[in-house]
Amino acid sequence: MGGLISVVWDVASTDSAYTAAARFAVVLAFAATGEWVAERAGTLNISVEAMILAGAFAAAMGYHTTGSVAVGLACGTVAGAMVASVQAEMSHRLTADQFVVGLTLNILVLGVVGFLGSEWEPSTRTASVVEIPLLVDVPLVGPALFGQPWPFYLIYLVVPLCAWLVHRTRWGLEVRSVGENPQAADVSGIDVNRRRRQSIYLGGLTAGLGGGYLLLGQVGRFDPGIVAGRGFIALVAVIFGGWTLRGAIFGCLLFGSVLSFRLTLPGLGYELNNEMLSSLPALVTIVAMALFAHAVRQPEALARPFIRGLK
Amino acid sequence: MSKRFGAVSACDAVDIEIHRGEIHGILGENGAGKSTLMKMLIGLVVPDSGSIFVDGASVRIADPVAAASLGIGMVHQHFSLVEALTVWENVALGDSGRLSQTGVRNAVGELSERYGLRIDPDARVADLPVGLRQRVEILKCLRREPDILIFDEPTSVLTPEESEDLFHSLRGVVEQEGRSVALVSHKLTEMLEVTDRVTIMRNGLVVDRYMTADADAGMLARAMVGRDVRLRSTEVSEAIPDMHAGDDGATPGVDGPVLEFRKIEVREPGGSMELDDLTFSLKPGEILGLAGVEGNGQRVIADLLSGLRRPSSGEILVDGVEVDVSQAGAALRAGIAVIPEDRHDSGIVLEMSVAENLMLSDQSGMATRGIINGAALAVAASDLIDRFSIMCTGPDALMWTLSGGNQQRVVLAREITADPAVLVAAQPTRGLDVGAIEYMTDQLRRVARSGVGILLISSELDEILELADRIVVIFMGQVTGEMARSEANREKIGRLMGGDLL
Amino acid sequence: MSAQPTAERGARSRLMEVVLLYAGCALGALVISGLIVEAVGADWSTVGGALLNGSVLKPGRWGGTIGVTIPLAMVAIGTIISTKVGLVNIGQEGQLLVGAAFATYFSTRVPGPGPFVLIVVLAAGVVGGALWSGLAGGLRYWRKVPEVLTTLLLVSVASNLVGYGLKHHWLLLDAEAKLGNRNLVSEQLPPDTRLPRITMWGNDFPISAVLAVCLVLLVGWMLSRTLWGYRLTVVGHNRKVARRFGISESAQGMIAMLASGGFAGLAGAFMLTGGDFANYRMVSGFSVSIGWVGLLVALVANNRALAVIPMAFVFASLRTGSGFLASTGIERRVTDVVQGLIVLALLLPPAIMFIGERRRALAAARSRV
Repeated sequence: MGGLISVVWDVASTDSAYTAAARFAVVLAFAATGEWVAERAGTLNISVEAMILAGAFAAAMGYHTTGSVAVGLACGTVAGAMVASVQAEMSHRLTADQFVVGLTLNILVLGVVGFLGSEWEPSTRTASVVEIPLLVDVPLVGPALFGQPWPFYLIYLVVPLCAWLVHRTRWGLEVRSVGENPQAADVSGIDVNRRRRQSIYLGGLTAGLGGGYLLLGQVGRFDPGIVAGRGFIALVAVIFGGWTLRGAIFGCLLFGSVLSFRLTLPGLGYELNNEMLSSLPALVTIVAMALFAHAVRQPEALARPFIRGLK
Repeated sequence: MSKRFGAVSACDAVDIEIHRGEIHGILGENGAGKSTLMKMLIGLVVPDSGSIFVDGASVRIADPVAAASLGIGMVHQHFSLVEALTVWENVALGDSGRLSQTGVRNAVGELSERYGLRIDPDARVADLPVGLRQRVEILKCLRREPDILIFDEPTSVLTPEESEDLFHSLRGVVEQEGRSVALVSHKLTEMLEVTDRVTIMRNGLVVDRYMTADADAGMLARAMVGRDVRLRSTEVSEAIPDMHAGDDGATPGVDGPVLEFRKIEVREPGGSMELDDLTFSLKPGEILGLAGVEGNGQRVIADLLSGLRRPSSGEILVDGVEVDVSQAGAALRAGIAVIPEDRHDSGIVLEMSVAENLMLSDQSGMATRGIINGAALAVAASDLIDRFSIMCTGPDALMWTLSGGNQQRVVLAREITADPAVLVAAQPTRGLDVGAIEYMTDQLRRVARSGVGILLISSELDEILELADRIVVIFMGQVTGEMARSEANREKIGRLMGGDLL
Repeated sequence: MSAQPTAERGARSRLMEVVLLYAGCALGALVISGLIVEAVGADWSTVGGALLNGSVLKPGRWGGTIGVTIPLAMVAIGTIISTKVGLVNIGQEGQLLVGAAFATYFSTRVPGPGPFVLIVVLAAGVVGGALWSGLAGGLRYWRKVPEVLTTLLLVSVASNLVGYGLKHHWLLLDAEAKLGNRNLVSEQLPPDTRLPRITMWGNDFPISAVLAVCLVLLVGWMLSRTLWGYRLTVVGHNRKVARRFGISESAQGMIAMLASGGFAGLAGAFMLTGGDFANYRMVSGFSVSIGWVGLLVALVANNRALAVIPMAFVFASLRTGSGFLASTGIERRVTDVVQGLIVLALLLPPAIMFIGERRRALAAARSRV
């Protein structure tokens, strides 16, 4: 036990640990923010994994073709939305089961980018680091939060923007209402499935952007296995956070830290059990949900399709 | 201002005119087409043919938003508030334009002042009692400053006294502000008391129109039902208070109670009490009417007896033996049959066949060594289909292809043939047409005569007054009074429904 | 009297509609696949030819395809059971892995005659898979944790667990393999504990094929004709009705979940003992997505047991056919694309039919009132 505490202390007093954790967390946060909106509208969107992957691949192709990080990120965002369009139209227009569609998309997108990636072989590199003066000098967390490649800073726009959209605008009020009681929303004159589709599109945009950041801000080279379950972790972070944005972001930070241990610990000279660490996010999630799932109030209509006249 | 409907198949060639500054009653039994008509007015159902005129101009109403922009608003019976949101958020739902929290909250305050409908704009709807929820609904509707307000059976969630208040507010809306109100109801008294004119519907047709001042209960009743029948109107049921008094077969026997609730408490997951120290008993062959405003614990009682909920404390006894209803199927094995309030929710499996639904109460009887005996099942099901005149294409017909009345007959057939000691009938006639209602009430009487104790849970006071031998009134999960039918009258029960103790 | 022929004609034209719908959607998927192939500069007809040659046409190939069909069908039939009770089990990949790991563990440790060991190994596979799905089922019914998430998350835990096992001699690692060796493998199954192979017209496949067909038919029959299947269906459609009539949701759900994982575990054991995968050894990445694809087979079969066998064979063909793609100069991953598109396309017809049926029902309801 004492050993564990000293490990945690060592990690907690290392600058690079925070930087690594922030990098892992921010990819999750991009995806989780949009996923949060989709879940508030009533979709448990498991194709978020595919959205990130599509975003990463499109960003690679965009950068490969134009040499511009901005164009790459834009391509990634659009690609995320394209995956979202299939999910949204099939599950909330054609009434196909949302899990089935999501699962299929995960496999299809993996196949498509795996195939196209090996045929086209995009070459990329990471975007340059931009330090924000003064803030970067804050001890420990300064470099982690303000000394990152510039796409990292987009998270400071995306999160407040989505929070504002959901909590302060009419669109957000309607999104929340269709996730809670679609029948009531319908009677009030809201197009339930349209709002749900829109929220999935938004989820696709942020997840695609997250994929673009993952490639151009962090990894630098495309590989079909690049996402490695981050989408699922983002989805779980939303649930972990009890369907509040604050909680979801906290979940992302927590899981980001766990993921970063794999990079940080060897540098500090600790032997580690790689399998154990890889399983940690999943295990933490399962345990957390086993403890809290029955206590947290989820959106009433989460994962329930809405068809007018049917319950 | 006039509104006109041409030929519509759900409502057949219905013409209705609503004038400015009047309360227009639309009277009809369940299933007469009133609700469909109103849903067309606010754009939830699109008419197949016919046209609607507002202020003389022909309009198309495609959705509730279009209706709102024409000045038509509706206060719904169910399903239109989002419980997780606050009052002001609910009021704002369905508007367009920028969302301004302070604007909406001020408007709510101002409206509740103007109409005397006080409410806290920041309360979560989930925390409000049913009566206040309706208030939110009304405010939501009034905020759009509608010219025409539609009320769909507003009094089913109110005590008689609250209903009076509501109608008083409506008078104000109509007389001082020149708006129109369409009041949809199947209660004759309401029509006579508050409306200016009445349109009566039956089977999707307008059968009669009256100036309320020229009408009396008998005329309205005849028009509504279509013939002279014994009728569940106030006058009729008040006139025969002792209908059951001399009926020996139905008088409670000397045996002990067949069903007993002893100090039952049910707590919501949130902690509030749904049933509070509830005690009552039911004797064999007796029809016990459980009266109360909707949402005061009736649903919980039915759920307990269906084994869907468990009491936090207290005991339920059948034939003197305690039953642990938290065990799946224990209530059924103890001899409790249930006709549930919402049959789609807990009475039938829509996606399965009639035969498969009928065998639910006797699963192992239809199988040998775990294998379902298809031939025997088909024979048994066909027999029940004949005996209960269930209209369907056969035992293999899927449940959702049947009409509501026939689905209800399947439930009835299954529950009665299970040879129960107790039959719980929760709102057994809701949503049925007149013929089906008569069939249902006859069956309930017949079953009671055969010695089964019947617990009739109904929010229709008239239904209870007509059928019950004894009446228990509940309010907020507590018994507020108990009396024999012969001692009961509307005023007394009405007071108890509002929470006054005897 | 005249109503009946009309009804029959109606049914026939409805059937035609369904067939056309499915054919149209499948064709659409193939056309899009063809376009993608053309986009990277290959010729779709040579690619298609190679796939057909590799899966069934060339001598000795369809036996191998059957070998892949077996685990796919097992995973799919298990999925159908859990779907029937209303659960969304999407962790078959992990359940299969754990099943295979259990089977491997016992394969070299249980003494006794070969056939006996073989039975123990298969049973261990079932137990392993059931254990893994049972974990998710238990959390679902006792802690209200959505099974969609737990089954999914347990996939990554399973693969890490197996990875760990393959590094340690006391678990799965072959005693003769040295630590640090990149090829982490388990000890090979002794010949007498392997499934016998049937040889037929120059093709050979393991005897589990017969067993698999029997199991699929048995489960299909049980779901539609026994009280067990009936109760499962009631729970799947209406939990409250089930509860009232003495059918315990958690009991039925647990049984279905265990059966579902058990079949995935059996698939893993069949892969280990069958010989068409990894040469009778446990290796890292042993599951080669059979769990995922088996899940897709169940989806495409629209949860009908009988449709499982042909659908599993089609998906197996894509896999074995991809072995012949090298000669065409196109990446074998193209089959993943084709597979995904086919699944997506075949999800459309049931959805479209549902919408049509609903429209008809609404029209009927309207005219009835």
